[in-house]
Amino acid sequence: MIDKFKAKFVEESLDNINDLEEALFLLENDMNNREIIERIFRAMHSLKGGGAMFGFNHLSEFTHHLETVFDLIRNDKLAVDNDIISLTFEAIDQIKHLLQVGDVDDADEKAHQLAFIQRIEKVSNTGGVNTEAPKTQSAVAESKPAEEDGSKSFLIHIKPNDDILKNGTNPFYLLDDLHAMGSAQVLAFAKEVPGLDQFQPISNYCQWQVILNTSESVNEIKDVFIFVEDECEISIEPLNSSNILNNTNLKNLVDTAISEQKLITKAQLDSLEGSSSAEDNAPKDPRKRTQLKEHKISSMRVSSVKIDELVNLVSELVTIQAQLNLYAEKSGENDIVNLAENIQKLTRQLRDNAFEISLIPLQSELMRFQRLVRDLSKELDKEIDFVIEGGDIELDKNIIEHLTDPLLHIIRNSVDHGIEMPDERIKNGKSPKGTIIFKAYYSGASVIVKVIDDGKGIDPDFIREKAIKKGLIDNKTELSRKEVFDLVFLSGFSTKDQVSDVSGRGVGMDVVKKKIGEIRGEVSLDSEMGKGTTLTLELPMTLSIIDGLLVKVASNQYVIPIANIEKIHAIDDINFGSTFSHVITIDDNQYPYIDLRETFQEEAVSKGTEQLILVKFEDKKVGLLVDQVIGEYQTVVKALGRFLKKQENISGASIMGDGTISMVIDTNRLIHNNATNKYKK
Amino acid sequence: MAKTVLIVDDSESIREVVNFTLENEGYDVLVGVDGEDALKFLDGRTIDIVITDLHMPNLDGLGLIRKVREMEAYKHIPILFLTTESQASKKMEAKQAGATGWIIKPFVPAKLLSAITRVLR
Repeated sequence: MIDKFKAKFVEESLDNINDLEEALFLLENDMNNREIIERIFRAMHSLKGGGAMFGFNHLSEFTHHLETVFDLIRNDKLAVDNDIISLTFEAIDQIKHLLQVGDVDDADEKAHQLAFIQRIEKVSNTGGVNTEAPKTQSAVAESKPAEEDGSKSFLIHIKPNDDILKNGTNPFYLLDDLHAMGSAQVLAFAKEVPGLDQFQPISNYCQWQVILNTSESVNEIKDVFIFVEDECEISIEPLNSSNILNNTNLKNLVDTAISEQKLITKAQLDSLEGSSSAEDNAPKDPRKRTQLKEHKISSMRVSSVKIDELVNLVSELVTIQAQLNLYAEKSGENDIVNLAENIQKLTRQLRDNAFEISLIPLQSELMRFQRLVRDLSKELDKEIDFVIEGGDIELDKNIIEHLTDPLLHIIRNSVDHGIEMPDERIKNGKSPKGTIIFKAYYSGASVIVKVIDDGKGIDPDFIREKAIKKGLIDNKTELSRKEVFDLVFLSGFSTKDQVSDVSGRGVGMDVVKKKIGEIRGEVSLDSEMGKGTTLTLELPMTLSIIDGLLVKVASNQYVIPIANIEKIHAIDDINFGSTFSHVITIDDNQYPYIDLRETFQEEAVSKGTEQLILVKFEDKKVGLLVDQVIGEYQTVVKALGRFLKKQENISGASIMGDGTISMVIDTNRLIHNNATNKYKK
Repeated sequence: MAKTVLIVDDSESIREVVNFTLENEGYDVLVGVDGEDALKFLDGRTIDIVITDLHMPNLDGLGLIRKVREMEAYKHIPILFLTTESQASKKMEAKQAGATGWIIKPFVPAKLLSAITRVLR
């Protein structure tokens, strides 16, 4: 049964570890904050308890030692210092590891674990306080069934006070409890029960002896009495025999004791001779009842696969609903039109809801970045403040998944190449401590993420030279400042000549750009020498649903994402004739444009008015020439199949209400490809 | 009539194991994620037993017990601790606060059930 919940425990533990890490960062800057210390202790406690419960005994034991340290701290017997924090960070990594591998029986693992525990114990011992022995290990052993080896016999005497019944304790339950620990022979002594004339129903007149055979420890037995200690006289005596209950002569002894109402002694039992015989220890049948169940849980965990499925189903529904609308309009029947409208309303709400569910806050990934900055700056002997703004910004979880690696790379770059060594910073009149700001905010339908460092910055001339050397541009190419920085994202470009241990892992900024491009995002870089570098990511909030403009090119329909559109102009043929080399003049401004009929190899059938859609491209505006604008359209984007994967100008397809398919244009790539093609010519 | 058990634990996996164990046995189960959260169930309805963790955010197990014992309606209901903590001093503190019993994690379901039936008179 426990296995069923194991996966849940692992998931929950990852959250706990995350929380632990986060709290530890806070503690590093505020070492005496009690609240944070409590939070850390609690997270460790949960890991320990759950670990033992769900079969992660190594993890549980390891965490126990760590918890001991923080228990000392919270009881003011030990003070937090940098060493403890560093050790704890390292220990968290070990906990993560143990959670991953589980209880492995590997000599190296064990040695490593043991060495680590000794390091932790060193810290807790300097606190000079004796701590309780690890409970978890013994507790695990105790949960084994009683017939296991190592069982012992005990003689237990319980003599409750007269008034034990008054405060609601039922001594029989104590006997039950003892019996549950193994097998037991219970002897009741009731000779003190008075005659009816003196009998007080609320007084106790009995005492008991229990001969118990169990694999549990004396402490476990004592636990049974913990709440009646001061209302009873209790004695627990271990017996020499390991299983006296199997002794054939025991029955006589017990029978005599009961008939004579005389307590048995340890000596009597220990001197008992005789052979053993098997006895049945049939477990009690648990009663089964089925009844109405009541659940009150404010939030719950759902597997991401299910959410993906939900979003997928909802997008199917949106499509079908559009078809229904179309049909209803055509039919002209009021009832159906009404029905279709109501369904449309519900579908919208459902879509918004499903969409919202699939969003998760950026916060969930920030811990890794924070940790990276901390570990890396220690490794490189740099001092860096990592500032987070906008951690509560929410993004589609698929986007966040794609975002983590590129961001790790970007931040790694900032720490490694951006921020200077402290003495170099002082020489340049900066504070010795560098700052990296991670900033996220909404901008229209997109989310902007910036990584800003106040490091040495990047020299544009250096980039230029490098690009020439690598043959990416020739030395006559005129480039704007922005274009120069964009060179960084070309494949085959890497400014660091030597491959450093930190960021030179064969992943360049070109990969970052590619990864971000996969989620329809854009990345750009800006830098000022001596002042620092800013990396900017512009990301869509979701991948599955976009607001689009439906347009017609020849006989086909296409969708252009509205987020990219600046303006739509109606162009007359006459006006159009004055264009030169794909540049058009509108309101005294010149815009380059792309004729989509050319792009999609349609015949130029246009007559009369055409539409020019101005879309944003980096910091410019570029026109897209289409035959007709049909209207705004909220649409579900489906990925193109395997065979069309290389189709760069198209980011996906969308099914229209009438069942036809429209391609969704990726304007950034379209314009980019067009521009590079032209250079090549 | 089915007995109602209020489970209070900040660990979801523990909550689920306890919940599963008890519902299987026919108990009605209420679930609180910490002491603070659990208080919302103590609104006069019938609760037969409370099983609570010790270390929890917002309001811990001891705090919860003290609050419950102040309420006229719940002054005498049994409250069991279900915790990894095994220190005798903690147990004493719990007892003084008004706890009825103590179950140590990790637990086997049978042990939990017997502890509950024992206190449910």
